[in-house]
Amino acid sequence: MPDAVASHSVAPKSLPTAPKPFAPEDEVALREALKRCSPSTFEAAVQFRKTGNPEHVPAVVIGIIERFVEPDLRMKLKDADDDLRLIEDLGIDSLTMMEIVILVEDVLQMTINNDELRNLRTVGDVKTFIDCKIRGLPLPKPTKFIPIEHVAAVMPVQPPFLFLNEASVSSTAANGKYKISGQEFFLQGHFKDNPVMPASIMLEALGQLAVLYLLEGAPTEPGKVVSAQMIFFTGCEGVRAHRICKPGDILTLSIKPKRMKMPLATFEGSIRVGQEKAVIAEEITLTYGFVDAATAPVPIEAVGHAAGINGSAESSSTPAPLRAAINA
Amino acid sequence: MPRVFITGLGFVTSIGNDAPTVTRHLRDLRHGFEIYPPFQKPDIPVKVIGTIKDFTTDSPDPEDWTFPARYKLKRELLRTMAPNGLFAHCAMLQAIEDARLAESDVSNSETGLYAASAGSPYLLHHHHDRLVKVGVMRCSPLGIVASIAGTLNFNLIAAFKINGASCGFSSACASSAHALGYAYDDIALGRQKRMFIVGAEDGNVDAILPFAGMRTLSLQTDPNLASRPFDAARDGFVGTGGSVVLVLENEEEVARRGVKPYAEILDWGQASDGWNVAISHPEGNGSAAAMTKALKAARVSPAEVDYVNAHATSTLIGDVSEARALRSVFKESAARVAVSSTKALTGHGLSLAGAMESAFCAVALREGFIPGNAHLTQVDPECEGLNLPRTTENRQANIVVKNSSGFGGANVALVFKRAT
Repeated sequence: MPDAVASHSVAPKSLPTAPKPFAPEDEVALREALKRCSPSTFEAAVQFRKTGNPEHVPAVVIGIIERFVEPDLRMKLKDADDDLRLIEDLGIDSLTMMEIVILVEDVLQMTINNDELRNLRTVGDVKTFIDCKIRGLPLPKPTKFIPIEHVAAVMPVQPPFLFLNEASVSSTAANGKYKISGQEFFLQGHFKDNPVMPASIMLEALGQLAVLYLLEGAPTEPGKVVSAQMIFFTGCEGVRAHRICKPGDILTLSIKPKRMKMPLATFEGSIRVGQEKAVIAEEITLTYGFVDAATAPVPIEAVGHAAGINGSAESSSTPAPLRAAINA
Repeated sequence: MPRVFITGLGFVTSIGNDAPTVTRHLRDLRHGFEIYPPFQKPDIPVKVIGTIKDFTTDSPDPEDWTFPARYKLKRELLRTMAPNGLFAHCAMLQAIEDARLAESDVSNSETGLYAASAGSPYLLHHHHDRLVKVGVMRCSPLGIVASIAGTLNFNLIAAFKINGASCGFSSACASSAHALGYAYDDIALGRQKRMFIVGAEDGNVDAILPFAGMRTLSLQTDPNLASRPFDAARDGFVGTGGSVVLVLENEEEVARRGVKPYAEILDWGQASDGWNVAISHPEGNGSAAAMTKALKAARVSPAEVDYVNAHATSTLIGDVSEARALRSVFKESAARVAVSSTKALTGHGLSLAGAMESAFCAVALREGFIPGNAHLTQVDPECEGLNLPRTTENRQANIVVKNSSGFGGANVALVFKRAT
C-alpha cells in the first residue's frame, strides 16, 4: 500500500540491518566528512549512525544538499518545499549531484546506483528515495512527464472536455498545465461577451489530474492496475476561487494524495496562474478500483520531454533527469 | 601575414604576483627562493624552492585554500582546480585586465587558449589513494578533471567561456614555449585573432621532488646561492610553480582596441635532439637548430640579436649544452649578445618556464632593460665566450630570443621585437 506517500509518519517495523556499532573513530571520520555542514546535520548523522532511526535521515540529507548549494540560494532550502527542484531551483548540476550522493553514501553508509539517481528531480524525490533505501522499502516510481497525446490516450475523459495539456506524475504528486485557449465551447455563454473560465470546470481539471495520478502514479497491488473505467467523482470540500481566469491564462495545476484507501482516494489540489493563486480545493475525493494487469491495455511509454503548451522553450529546455557528465 | 603582438600579461610567480612587482624584481635581480617547510625532513636533501607568496594550497580540498582577497572564486569553480589551476585563473584575470579585454573579446570563436602544465601529481595521488582506500564508487567525481594533465585547459576554457581554439601542450619544460609558438602560428595564419597562452605548475612537493631521483635538483640550503646558471659552482635546478598568462593579438585587434603592446613576436622555430630521453645533446645541436630556424623565419640575422633569455636551469649538463649552442649560432656575435637566465631569480618552472620567461622578455622590451645573471660569480669555463652580464643593463633591446628545452630533447626558440 502507499508507503511512499505516508512513509515519513510510519515508524520502522524492522530495519533491514541492525546498525553497526558506532566507534569513536567513526565519529572523527563523520565530523571530518561533514565539516562544512551545519552542526545540526552532524548531530542528526551521529544519531542516525548510533540508532539507525530513519527519522534523522531527512535532516542529514537536507544538510548535505545545503552545503553544496551556493550560499545565496540556501534560503530556499530553509522552508524546504518538497517540490523544490534540484536543477532549476537550486542550481545543482549533475556533477554536484554526484558530490552529494558520495557524501550521503559515506555518511549514511549506503550505496546508491547510477540508474536510481536519474529519477531524482526534487528535494522530495531525494528524501523519499533515501528514506525508502534506509527502510529497505521498494523505491517509489519516478516522476513521469506525460505529453498531451499520452494524456489523451490514457484518460477516460476526452476532448473537448479534457483540461490538461501536459502533466508530470510521481508517486507523491501530480502537476499539470492547461492553457485557456478561448475556443472552449462553454466560453461562448460563460459569460455573455465576457469569457471567464467556470470555477466548476477548474475543479473538473483538478479532478482530471487526480484521475491521471491514479492511472499513472498511484501504488497498486501486485498484478493489478487501476481501471480507467472505474474512477468517479464522489465529493469535494473547502473549494475557493481566488482569481478570475480568462483566455490566454496558463493554469498550473497540482494535486497531492492525502488519503488512499480502496475504493476512495482523497486529494488536495490547487491552481495557480503564474505566481497568483486561482483555486484551492482542500479535498477532492474519487472512487477507484483495480483490474488485472494482463487485461488492461498496455500504456504507451511516456516520453521524457513534453512539448510545451506553446511549444514553449520553457518545457523543451527542461533538463533531462540527472545524468553523469561524461564528456571525457 | 598578420603581425602578432603581446598585449597583456598576468603573473603568479615566485618573484611577484603582479606585473609591477615582477618588473621590479627582474630589474633589481631579487630572487623568490625560500626554505620550503615540507622539505625540512632528514630524508629530503633538497631544501629550497621558489615559493608562491600569499597563496596556500597545501590541502587536497580547494575549499581550504587561501588566496588574495581581490580574487573572488566560487566553490563551483574551485572544486575542479588543481593548485596550478588556481594560480592560472588568477593570472588570467590579471592578463585580461592588463590587455583591457571586454568579456566579448575573451569569449568568441576568434579567441583561443593554449595551456601547459604537468597536471597535478599531488591531487592525482590524493584521488588515486582515495580510490584504493574507500572504493571505486566513492572517489571524487571531479578528481579526474582536477588532476590529470589537461586540468589547466579544462578549467580555464570552461571558466572563461573560451570558444576558439584550445588544447594543452605536453613537452615537459618546453611545453608553454610550444604553446606560444603554435598560438603565434594560429594568429599569423589568420585562424584566430587573439590567443591566451598559459603556463602553470603546482610547484609543491609532488611536482618537484620526483626530480630528486634524477639528481637534477640543487641541494643548496642557502636560498641566495641555490640557483646559479652558468656558474662553475652550480649544482642543479631549484623548482618553482605558479602561472603566467600572455595575451597575443593580431595587429588589427591592437589597432581596433587602441592598446599599447609589450612586444611583437616575429616568429619561432623548433628542432629536436633525437639523442636522449632526459639528457640534452652535449653540443646543443637541437637547441642551435631551433634558434637558427627561428631567426631565419623571423628574417633576423644573429648579429641583430641584442639579448637571449636562456633556458639554462643551473644543471651541470644542460647549461654547457646551451652555451655551446649559443656559440655555434652567434659565432663572432656571441661575445656581444647579452645572455642571461632568469631562472637564477625564479627557479625552474617546468611547463611554466617558457611562458614565464617569454613574459619577462616582453617586460624587458617594454621597460627598456636587460636582466642580468643573478648569483653568477665564477663562470663555468665551458660557458666562456658568451656575454653574461652580472647586473641589469639599462638599455633598450630591439631583438630578443627566448630558448626553451624539454625532455626528449625538444627545443623551441622564439624571437621577440620591441613594439613599434
